[in-house]
Amino acid sequence: MPDPIFYHSIKVDEKKCIGCVVCMKVCPTKAIRIKEKKAVVNAERCIDCGECYRACPYGAITPLTTKTSDITRFKIKVALPSPVLYSQFGSNVMPDQILNALKEIGFDYVYDEALACEMISIAIEEYLERNKSPRPIISSTCPVVVRLIQRLFPSLVSLIIRMEPPREIAAKNLKRELSKEHKISEQDIGIFHITSCPAKMVSINKPETMEKSYLDGAISIKEIYNQLMAQLKRKEHNFILQTQSQASGIGIGWAISGGEIRGIKQDASVSVSGVYDTIRILSDVESGKIKNIEYLECLICPDGCIGGPLTVENRFLAKSHILKLIRKFGGKNRIDISYVKQLYEKNFFSFERNIQPKPFSPLDPDKNEAIRKLKKKERILKNLPGINCGVCGAPDCESFAEDLAKGEKDLTIGRCVFLGE
Amino acid sequence: MGEETRLSEEFEITGGDFINGGMASCRIKNILKEIGIDAEITRRVAIASYEAEMNVVMYAKKGIMKFILDSHRITIKVEDEGPGIPDIELAMQPGYSTATPEMREMGFGAGMGLPNIQKNADIFNIVSTVGKGTNLEIIINLNNKNA
Repeated sequence: MPDPIFYHSIKVDEKKCIGCVVCMKVCPTKAIRIKEKKAVVNAERCIDCGECYRACPYGAITPLTTKTSDITRFKIKVALPSPVLYSQFGSNVMPDQILNALKEIGFDYVYDEALACEMISIAIEEYLERNKSPRPIISSTCPVVVRLIQRLFPSLVSLIIRMEPPREIAAKNLKRELSKEHKISEQDIGIFHITSCPAKMVSINKPETMEKSYLDGAISIKEIYNQLMAQLKRKEHNFILQTQSQASGIGIGWAISGGEIRGIKQDASVSVSGVYDTIRILSDVESGKIKNIEYLECLICPDGCIGGPLTVENRFLAKSHILKLIRKFGGKNRIDISYVKQLYEKNFFSFERNIQPKPFSPLDPDKNEAIRKLKKKERILKNLPGINCGVCGAPDCESFAEDLAKGEKDLTIGRCVFLGE
Repeated sequence: MGEETRLSEEFEITGGDFINGGMASCRIKNILKEIGIDAEITRRVAIASYEAEMNVVMYAKKGIMKFILDSHRITIKVEDEGPGIPDIELAMQPGYSTATPEMREMGFGAGMGLPNIQKNADIFNIVSTVGKGTNLEIIINLNNKNA
């Protein structure tokens, strides 16, 4: 069911869902309830982290990414693969071969996102030098982290770097260049991110910082994997490659946690990955606990984008492959620094509009009423067993008490199996 | 104003307990978010209460943190049993600290605790008796924001 205010990248398949509570228990924002044996997602609380998709044992949670068949409506079709793709086919398949395989399966152009990552590394340094605002500055690369900050840590919104992530910058550049080169409208050029992350669809369909995303879709690595694999096998002995990457280890390294800060000079930078650790560190930033940190890279998936839910390769092997590629392609930037600085001057990297805080609704819009409900919640909580079994359909006793205090329809304390009727 | 719309909670803080240090201020922060207090005010309360809590953890034997919310303001009172502060004016100077090297190694003791509390509070009172302890009162108004 599409939501008019909140767009999300996942949906529950009611035919497959048996209401087993697994997704509800892992949801970091407590957005899921089990109602009449089906998982129901609260659209306001969902941040598209993909934990439920990862955890569901029944395949009942479906990511809403672009299908490869959807790309045909564009005159020029461009693939923009995340460097994560380079980690998916073993350690002997090189980026060039993968870029070439993408071209063979039907894209007119293939652009290596790793190059844009290198550009952004330079631009981040420039930003840190020019903006002496409060610290730490927080990365804007992961769309889920941006959403998490808007919702859970609204006072930190102003710390997010006001610069678009590599995928958008690459797409912006490509739209301009290709429309000039082929003398066609930007609307006829379709740019598709090849991604490990369903949340990219959210940032494409409902961008926070611009009127319209420069990307036209996000294709899941899972979906395109078999086609690419077949192509790679067929091309095993083809030494002449049409599409070559010029990226270095800096750009390729963005696929793993710590990759973004590896490319910048500021020593006092920290990388964090995984949804729970990200919440923990942002909470510490909010309390002023984190001092003397310049730049904070947070990625919602474990180990960074290679841990994305739409990958095929085992995460640990994928990380090993990326580390091997980083060593092979080296840490020397291949991008013209003065060119990046020129673009920076022209605000090429900047947000069109600032990110707005969007805190979760309080217990009640009226403060006095909210306090009353909070007290009611505490009273109810004292009577509950505190076992957090989830049988009532809420992830833990606290959430159940909260739902009761809010006066959720048809919900009574009798839903608790320990208190009974 | 009715008792129902006034909220108060009390937390015990144990000196030297760096593992649990910060839990009281975190709980206060979450309460404010649930009630829908303005994000910037919540952040100021979070910072001031965290610094006050960690001061007890670092320097005192134990302490009590009281949190009171009414329709106009948030009040945090911290009463500790500790060494007390001989020279409050000196302790309020940014950068002044009596933290041990061990505390500094853990990232504390930058001498910004009390100045940070003052910066984030609308009203800040401190009373200290050497050998007995220190009492703090931090008030942050809900309506007129501190620029």
